[in-house]
Amino acid sequence: MNRPERHPDLTAFVLGALDPEETEEIRRHLTSCPRCRNELEGLRKVNRALDAAPPPVDPPGHLKEEILTRLRAERESHAEYAEPGKPTKPHGGRRLRLLSGAAAAVIAIVVFGILFGLPRAEAPATTVALVPTPEEATGLDGYWGVAKIRPQPSDNQRVELRLNNFDEPEPDRYYELWFASGDRRISAGSFTSVGRGETRVWLNAPPEARSFDTLLITEERLDERASGTEVALKGKVP
Amino acid sequence: MTSGQMDALSDEQLVARLGSPEVEAAIARLYDRYCRTVFGVGLKMLGDRTLAEELTQEVFLKVWRSSGTFDPARGSFSTWLFRVTRSAALDLHRKRARRVYPVPEGDSQILAARDDSAGPQEIVDESWLTWRVSRALDALDAPYREVIELAYFGGLSQREISLRTGVPLGTVKTRTARAIQSLREGLALADAWWVATR
Repeated sequence: MNRPERHPDLTAFVLGALDPEETEEIRRHLTSCPRCRNELEGLRKVNRALDAAPPPVDPPGHLKEEILTRLRAERESHAEYAEPGKPTKPHGGRRLRLLSGAAAAVIAIVVFGILFGLPRAEAPATTVALVPTPEEATGLDGYWGVAKIRPQPSDNQRVELRLNNFDEPEPDRYYELWFASGDRRISAGSFTSVGRGETRVWLNAPPEARSFDTLLITEERLDERASGTEVALKGKVP
Repeated sequence: MTSGQMDALSDEQLVARLGSPEVEAAIARLYDRYCRTVFGVGLKMLGDRTLAEELTQEVFLKVWRSSGTFDPARGSFSTWLFRVTRSAALDLHRKRARRVYPVPEGDSQILAARDDSAGPQEIVDESWLTWRVSRALDALDAPYREVIELAYFGGLSQREISLRTGVPLGTVKTRTARAIQSLREGLALADAWWVATR
């Protein structure tokens, strides 16, 4: 026995793309056609999925060239690092790698040099060295950061963050910068990192952050109900 | 390698060339294939065209920077790119929202600054479906995608679509039915569980 054909307008009915009289006809048809009634729910699921579709808009034409221009610029500026795109040592999340004592000493010297060796041409900025928290620093390397805090005319605090070898977070995690004082914390925003080499991000904190004396970078979970925030870097604001 | 040969490469083969002198041609091909999805998903997640443009830039630069971490054995490029897009979108979303946590001592001014917009988990839950629907729409041939866009996003009836496009009404109906069937099959592959729970 042949199965009855699906009504040709059933799809358009689900999309709401029929004229009123056609819509009425389909409704009448549905009362007497079990095949189409069965089909209807499946089609409605697709229609509901379309609710999540992005609007049919193309990105502006100039965007591609801007990306290529930035890529060229970054390739030149990152010449001192390994070429991005070439396979590097695999690393999952912020995994710490063991370093020799000599290498750790080199990093300490670099941090010290940035803290005290660089000219401070931008007088209003406060420079903060960010180092691994004591629990994580023992025998482990290799990431550190420097934050420059600059008050803005709006009284917000602009923070320029430079992080070295700060691994990319796991997919369900991200990093967050905090101004802290005792038990109090104010978020200055969240970010991800590029892993090996230098990551630079610019974040803003509200005026209240001026009175806080510590900077923290924590690894946060996307699921805010989960516990287990880790402090990855810490620095004292002078 | 000629332009035609580059076009014929798979996504994964293009990613493998991001560390080579052909990096610009490779990233340009990946952009052509995915820019509409990345931009569209960004627009949907962030609700702002300027932020969606910023997101699109960041995503494709990050694809280049992080391509060494892409492992085809662990999943398709599309899935990896979705994760990169999601991560970058959340970053922009959070950067925009000034989040302040309550403190034990209780500072009413700080508490009042909490952000009430959609949380990141809600955005992520929705974004995977948005990505899949966008990819399924992009996989349709242009005439089929057109009828869906005019009907669903344009709110036009089949008859109005026929008048606007000059395509016979019967053809419009056939294309609509086939397009929806293709979407249904495409989404069912990866998202049956999600659609079924809506």
